[in-house]
Amino acid sequence: MESLHPRVRLLWVLSTVIQASVLGVIAYLVDRFAVALPQWAIVGGWVVLVLLGIAHAVAAHRIWRFDLQDDALFLLRGVVTRTDTSVPYVRVQHVDTTRGPIERAVGLASVVVYTAGTRGADITIPGLRPERATELRERLRDLANESEATDAV
Amino acid sequence: MNRLHPRSAAVRIARAALQGGFFGFFGGSLGTGMFDLPWFGVPALAALGAVIFSGYALARYLRFRYELDGDTLTVESGVFARQSRQIPLGRVQNLDVEQNILNRLLGLAIVRFETAGGSATEATLDAVDEAEVKRLRNYVRTHDRDEAADTEAATSKAVSETATSARSAHADLPGATGPSPTQAGDTQAGTDRGPSVSTSNTDSGGQPDESLLFAFDQRELLTYALVSVRPAAPVLTLATLPLGMDIVWAVLRFNATLVGASLSGPVIQWLLGSPETSRLAVFAALSIAQFLLLALVVSMALTVIEYYGFRLTQADDDLRYERGLLRRYSGNIPLEKVQSVTIRENVLMRRFGYATLAVETAGYSGGNQQSTQGVAVPLAPREEVYELARDIEPFGDLDFERSPKRARRRYLARFSLAAAGLTAVAYAVDSLVLETGYWWLAALLFLPVVPAAHLRWRHRGFDLDESVLATRSGFWRRTTRIVPYYRLQTVFVTRSPFQRRRDLATVGADTASSSSLLGGIARVYDIDEGTATELRDSLRERLTAHIASRRRGESAAGEAASRELASDEPADSDAAGGEAVSDERD
Repeated sequence: MESLHPRVRLLWVLSTVIQASVLGVIAYLVDRFAVALPQWAIVGGWVVLVLLGIAHAVAAHRIWRFDLQDDALFLLRGVVTRTDTSVPYVRVQHVDTTRGPIERAVGLASVVVYTAGTRGADITIPGLRPERATELRERLRDLANESEATDAV
Repeated sequence: MNRLHPRSAAVRIARAALQGGFFGFFGGSLGTGMFDLPWFGVPALAALGAVIFSGYALARYLRFRYELDGDTLTVESGVFARQSRQIPLGRVQNLDVEQNILNRLLGLAIVRFETAGGSATEATLDAVDEAEVKRLRNYVRTHDRDEAADTEAATSKAVSETATSARSAHADLPGATGPSPTQAGDTQAGTDRGPSVSTSNTDSGGQPDESLLFAFDQRELLTYALVSVRPAAPVLTLATLPLGMDIVWAVLRFNATLVGASLSGPVIQWLLGSPETSRLAVFAALSIAQFLLLALVVSMALTVIEYYGFRLTQADDDLRYERGLLRRYSGNIPLEKVQSVTIRENVLMRRFGYATLAVETAGYSGGNQQSTQGVAVPLAPREEVYELARDIEPFGDLDFERSPKRARRRYLARFSLAAAGLTAVAYAVDSLVLETGYWWLAALLFLPVVPAAHLRWRHRGFDLDESVLATRSGFWRRTTRIVPYYRLQTVFVTRSPFQRRRDLATVGADTASSSSLLGGIARVYDIDEGTATELRDSLRERLTAHIASRRRGESAAGEAASRELASDEPADSDAAGGEAVSDERD
């Protein structure tokens, strides 16, 4: 079982900070143009959201695991509701590596695995070093191809 | 390249002219009012609008062309932005035909080709005549066989052979994946009937190669309408009530006199004048009963309109349905594209031993998804439904394993919490607003908590059959979902904090399906944590094993076939957008 790069916590915290700040700006605008909101509520709300985000990021990193097993990609995640997902290699449609702006800023990348199902049709493994992401993508592609080739004979 | 039927063009142009005319008329009226246009501005603009709109409609009609050639459907469309789309026929999941009243009068029909993936129907032919519908349907159904016989299509020959061998390989499969003499027999017979299918292309009367699986007679239809209560009917009834407000008031007035109220003015005055509680209660009960009766009638009428003349037939390895009173719907569902089979029984149906059967393919997409689409048998005796389900997807006797008893305690706790919450709300509302002192009546909600928890627990279960996973859930509407192992996509196990406390977990098995409402996911609720992991592992193992055995079955028919089928699982390719190739130019 492989865990995510520790810096993924920074990534998650940063995105929470951005989301909380967007909410803060909205609250500020509401305060300015519509209903008066107390100053402390806006600041306090921002602080609470960020603290929750930090706690969540730490817990999520501790729980997140993934593993390339014999027949399937196996992921374990979820802070509140814990979910493990098995994606059989035969069912992999295609694999992407993506790097969003915040990910680039902290030097990480994610791999997205697509299946044809309804739920979990795209499964993201965040917090990977870019080399590891590329390696993982190629490995998954090979596994997906192999699982077809060996079975077909 | 074919064009759509000229009559449909006439309809479209007429409709566009009307729209354009109205548009121009309103524009003109606005113009004369605000900018002092001369009086003839109105008719002139109306005429201009009509000409522009109908011209565009004509251009669209002329630009829209389609062709069935080899194993591809090509559709070219677009006036300004031109689009050309190619759909491999092997990828077509369903072919649906719709006829509204106007089209029925004109002898036309709208044909829709559904493939997996994508959020909309891939190709819509609006509209073609009935002979063309028949031709398209037969072509799609038999394209591989006809193709093989077709010697002139030299270029597409290699491809078509692949498709043919894949199809014939599939005919053996039910035998390979599980025992089902009927299924094997049917498909075998279907393959034998191959030649007669081609001849039925020209046959415009009955279709000799179809065997009737299910049909409604009037009485069964009414029974179905009665037992399949539509939750939407009361809402719809309520929404349309304001249209007949006079009648509503008359009925309410009648009710009021019936309970012995002395009416001097309108009913509303009597209601507002704080009438006696007992009279008001009877009045309310009476009115609600009448409303529910009306809703029932509406629900039945909707169901009858939707399912009038329902017929399900099987032709080769395709299911074909037909239904509808005003709008006729019909369609083909290839058996090999079926992802999962669902059997639904609501309380009433269970009481009388009936059930509903629905099949899911990866093709039905959100856009034209209707509540009942994909329903193969709306209502039949349970045994018949199971027999048909076994024909589609072979499975043995289902013996459901229930969740552990502690799951029931979990439901008990959950329902109690809900009842307590509602009581609290009732108390708050009563003490703050109503002040009747009757808030404790809400505590009666605790009474059904125990039976409700028990019933929920009792109706949940799962079974690992030889070739399928079966899950079951729901008391009011019990849903039994049957998923063949080789159709599984991802398998996941979830544990909420409450489940973790009791060492329980929920296992979900996903299949390829674009319906997010019904969902392609079969869920096994609240089983023991250990059982859940075991279940997950065995589902994974069986998926691998069953895919392997299907491939072995095919490799006998040629390696090309296995490659074809491997990518034939509707699953594959869709997400990649490989179902339909389209190219757009400006």
